[in-house]
Formats: sequence, structure tokens, C-alpha cells
Amino acid sequence: MSANAAWHNQWQRRWTKRSISLRLLLAVLVMVGLALPIAGTLLSHHYRASATQAFDERLAATLNVIMAGVTYDRLAQQLVLDQALGDPRFENVYSGWYWQITDGAQNTLASRSLWDQRLPVVENENLSARSISGPRDQSLRMVERDIYLAPLEAPLHISVAARNDVLADDIGEFQHLLWGGLIGLGALLIGVLALQVRWGLAPLRRMHANLRDVEQGRSEQLDTRLPEELATLASSMNAVLARDQRLIERGRHTAGNLAHALKTPLSVMRLQLRQLPEANRSAWEVELARIDSAVRHHLARASAAGEGVRFAPITLHTTLAPLLNGLSRLAQRRGIALRQSWGQAIRVHMDEQDIQELVGNLMDNALRWAQSEVELDVQAVEQQLVLTVRDNGPGMSEAECQQAVQRGKRLDEQRSGSGLGLAIVTDLVALYSGQMHLTRASTGGLEVVVELPVVAHG
Amino acid sequence: MKCLLVEDDQALARELSQALRDGDWLVEHAATGQDADFLVRTEAYDTLILDVGLPDGDGTRWLAAWREDGIDLPVLILTARERWADKAAGFSAGADDYVTKPFEPAEVLFRLRALVRRSHGHAHPVLKVGELSLDTHTQHVTLAGRPVGLTAQETRLLGYLMHAAPRVVSRTELAEHVYDRDHEPDSNVIDVQVSRLRRKLGSWRIVTQRGQGYRLLEEEPAAE
Repeated sequence: MSANAAWHNQWQRRWTKRSISLRLLLAVLVMVGLALPIAGTLLSHHYRASATQAFDERLAATLNVIMAGVTYDRLAQQLVLDQALGDPRFENVYSGWYWQITDGAQNTLASRSLWDQRLPVVENENLSARSISGPRDQSLRMVERDIYLAPLEAPLHISVAARNDVLADDIGEFQHLLWGGLIGLGALLIGVLALQVRWGLAPLRRMHANLRDVEQGRSEQLDTRLPEELATLASSMNAVLARDQRLIERGRHTAGNLAHALKTPLSVMRLQLRQLPEANRSAWEVELARIDSAVRHHLARASAAGEGVRFAPITLHTTLAPLLNGLSRLAQRRGIALRQSWGQAIRVHMDEQDIQELVGNLMDNALRWAQSEVELDVQAVEQQLVLTVRDNGPGMSEAECQQAVQRGKRLDEQRSGSGLGLAIVTDLVALYSGQMHLTRASTGGLEVVVELPVVAHG
Repeated sequence: MKCLLVEDDQALARELSQALRDGDWLVEHAATGQDADFLVRTEAYDTLILDVGLPDGDGTRWLAAWREDGIDLPVLILTARERWADKAAGFSAGADDYVTKPFEPAEVLFRLRALVRRSHGHAHPVLKVGELSLDTHTQHVTLAGRPVGLTAQETRLLGYLMHAAPRVVSRTELAEHVYDRDHEPDSNVIDVQVSRLRRKLGSWRIVTQRGQGYRLLEEEPAAE
């Protein structure tokens, strides 16, 4: 029982996954495979019946002519057919066309074509038709009727027969045409359906391509210029996309407001700590730093868009220009030389704010520790955006480097949020499924390499 | 050194002012951009601390307006960490440095001193005029490597002259930058303090330029 149910489930699952094209194709195959043969059989049967009937009627007509023409010559005491049948087929011996008039005894009149043969006789007052075996084993169709002709007392059996194969040929020809036609029709149906599937499902394929564009950020919304059924689907999806965007915006807005609301009281508390005795102070400092870093960490994560949503490609240089201008000024004021090197016109699929946060934090960290110089190198290597930031500050030990790239770890919380910037970078890098390496730079300071698979091509 | 703190949050303004005073700064406070605008245009400051979120408009907008009008005093912005793009816009508007809330008081002091030093064209935190040196972070004054005992007010005064050296500094300028607005001294008080400095450092080091002010010399002039 349960095995049956399992089989049923599996079957259902497999069936659900079949493509629409396959479903339609199966439907038409069922139609072509069942309906056409049934129709063919019915037609063929009907035609055979009506062709046979028509044949019989032709024979009956001949029979009527004979019936009208037969008389009994009393003088010669024999049957006479007044009217010759014009048809020469009744004259040629064994032509397959025969007639015969007999009373079952001495009086018999037959067509020349019968020669010495006779048709079998069945007593039948009414017109009847049947298939019989005639001379030379010819398969014949025969109609016959009994009439009374004065002065004969016994009934006269009048029969007209003709070769069946005329009828068989006729029916065969019809069947040939019929089945040929039906096979042609089946092929045509399958062909037309294939076209219909292609044409009918074309909007679906277009929508799919469109969706992929949205996914990869080439367009922002689905095109709703689609057939009615799909247009509603597309606009519903657009609504979902728009809501997604709104939620991100709202999240960021809330995060920003919360940040602002918390930062000032935290600053005040930090400043008030100075009035505490030294012994109590450090414990409070640690706690405040924890609050601060937790707030920053989670707010930064909340406001990061990440790769959950796909973004239209942005030109990196344009997006970062205001940020780097500001940072250059800052560097200049701090007496630090800021050098930049850029690959050709790099475009990336990233949220503007995310990349600004990422680069801002990296640069901020470098500027904080650098003695006199910071280098920023931005390159695109196939799919990977490679950002390298180098400073000539004190650098970090290998253990510190390893710790820094672990998500959620705070590096040196006492140093005024410096590690936190890197922690935010780590989070962003993880959001975009990227990689981050920290090493000792040739200049002695820290070298941070961030690789993100976000480069847009084409 | 005198600093204008532009901060609308009263508690933060109070605590930060105190921290700055403890770091030997003279602090004046403005709670709105309007007040700050007035003070910046009428008073002399060595540096300005500007909260970007003010009740009457974004701090960076006020800053941009001041820069436009040629007010070039060094500005440190206080920012709640928001979008980096906004922060960078702050720099572009003319900020010289920033600290992120919540901040260490020490970091604010560190950044302020560096700003003032650089605005006078000194890259190194230790200022030297001849054998005289001043560590701007610790406020230690040494003469030929030996520490010199100075009062806080004397250190401030000497510090200002050392930042400005070899420029001549007028009495008015000294009064504005080294003394609180509420206790502005008459020129006598300055003269008295200068002569005390002369006694401790050697009288040739501080020259009085008649009608102009004071100037620090690097070397003792050859006797005539």
C-alpha cells in the first residue's frame, strides 16, 4: 500500500517537473495515437458498408431490368429475356458479371458469361444480397429475388452477381487514401503543435531572459509588454522587486537613525569615564567599547545590501571618486601621500554604498596607521575585482592578520575602532562571497587584498 | 590654543569642553550653526570642532560656506558613523580631519594638535626653535635637552609663539589665541608673562618688535 503511495508520489514529482512542451507533446501524441485510428476505423467501416450497399444497388438495378424483361414463352415452353442487357461484360465468359434466372428445375436462363456454370440458389422472396463463391472460385457479390411468373408455378430465382474485387478494390483504394490522409493529418498535427509550443511559449522564454537580465542587474524591472497571462505575473514580480528595494532602503534608513541616536550618548558616556577613578575606568571602557562595536557591527551589516539583490553595474571610478577625493584631502592634511593605481574602466555589480563602505573602511584603516604613505590599487582580473591597500605603518603580526579575517572578530578593540573598520570590511566581503587576505607589505606596514567576484563584463 | 566647539548636544558639549580644557585648550562653545557662524566670523580660533548634525542645517554646509568666504582655520568634524560617501563629502566641503562618535577624548586632542601644527606648517609633533623644543602632545618644553618648568599659561603662550615662529606675533593675536575671551588680559599681563619666559629661557630668545609684537629667535644674535 505504502509502496504504491510512494510510487505515486515519485510519479507525481517526476511528472510535475516535465516541461510544458513535453506535456503538450504528450497530449497531441495521445490524440494522434488514439483518436485518429478510431476515426479511421469508423470511417473505413462506414465506407465499406455504404460502398457495399451501393454495389448491391447497382446489382439490384440490373436485377430489376432482368425481372422486367423476363417472360415465359408458352409455345417454346421456355424462359425468354426480351430485352438484352447492353453490358458486354455479361457476354464474356467468366467475366465476373453474371445473371441467372431459374425455377430450380428445367427452366433456367443464364448470361453467356456463366457458360456451363450456375449460381447457387437460395429461396428468398425479398431482395437479398450476399457474398458467394462463383465459377473458378471467383469471389462474388450476388443479389437475388424470387418472383412468380405465370404460368409457371414454381418461383423464379433471379440472381445477378458481380465480382467482389471491384468492390474490394474500391474499398481498398478508399482505405489507402483514408489512412494516408490520417497519417498525414497526424504528422501535420504534431508539426503544428510543435510550432504552437514554440510560438505559444515564446513569451515565457522572453520573460525568462528578461528575468535573468534583472537578476544580473542589466535591467531593473521585468518588461510587462507580454501576453495578458504573463503580464500580470511580470507586474506582480516587479512589485516584489520594488518592495525588496523599499525594504532595503527602509532598513538603511532605520540603521542610520539608530546610529545617530546612539552615537552621541555613547560619546558622552565615554567622556564621563574620565571622572571615574582609574581602577574602575578600564572595566567601563571595555564595556562601552563592546556596546560601540556591537552597534557599529550590526548597523553596518544592516545597511549593507550584499549580493542578495542583483545590482545594475556601476562604474567603479565614478562611484568612488567623491570618496577618494575626500580621503585624499584627509591624507594630505595628515601628511600622508595617497597613491592610486587603476585598471581600465572597471564596472562592477555592487551596491554603491557597499563598495564605498568597503573602500572607505580599508582606506581609513590604512590612513590611521600609515607613517607617510598609503597605496590603493584597483584591478579587474576576469570576474574578480582586486583591491589592494598598502600602508607603511606598524603592520600586524601573522596571528593578528589571521584573526582579522575571521568574521565577527574584533581586532584590538582598544585602538579606537580601528579593528572594527576591518571587521566591517570582512562582513561586506563575506556578503559578496569574496576573499580577503592580510599580509605584511613590502613597505613594512599592512597590505590588505580584497577579491570580490563582481566585475561586470560587456 | 583656542578651539570653537560646535555641538548641539548639551551633555556632549559639556563633557567634551571639559576634556579639551583638561588637555590645556581654551574652549568656546556654539550650539547652533548660526552661533558658530557669528563666532567664526568675529573671533580668532586655532581650530574648530564641528558636529555634522546640527539643528539648523548640516555642519558640512556651514563649513562649505565658511571655506567659500576664505575662512581657512583647521576643522575637525565629529560624525556618527554613517555613509562613507557623506563623510567624504565632509572632507570635500573643507574638513581637515574627522573623529567618529563615540570617540576617545585622547583621539580628539591628538587630532586637534596635529591640525593646528600642520596649519602652521609643522609636520613633526615636536616643534623646535633652535635649542628650544616643545612636544605638542605632552606639552613638555625642553631647552637643550633639559626640561624647563613652565606654568600652563606660560606653556600656552610659548606654544603659540613656537607654532608661529619665525613670524612676529602681535599682542592682540596672543590675547585672542592664548587667553579666554572672558578673561582677556591687558597688554601688561602679557608683558609680565613674556618677561617670565625670558627669565626661564634666556632673554634674547623672545624679541619685542616695537609696534608689532613678539618673535622667537633661533640663535642668539651676535653682540654689537
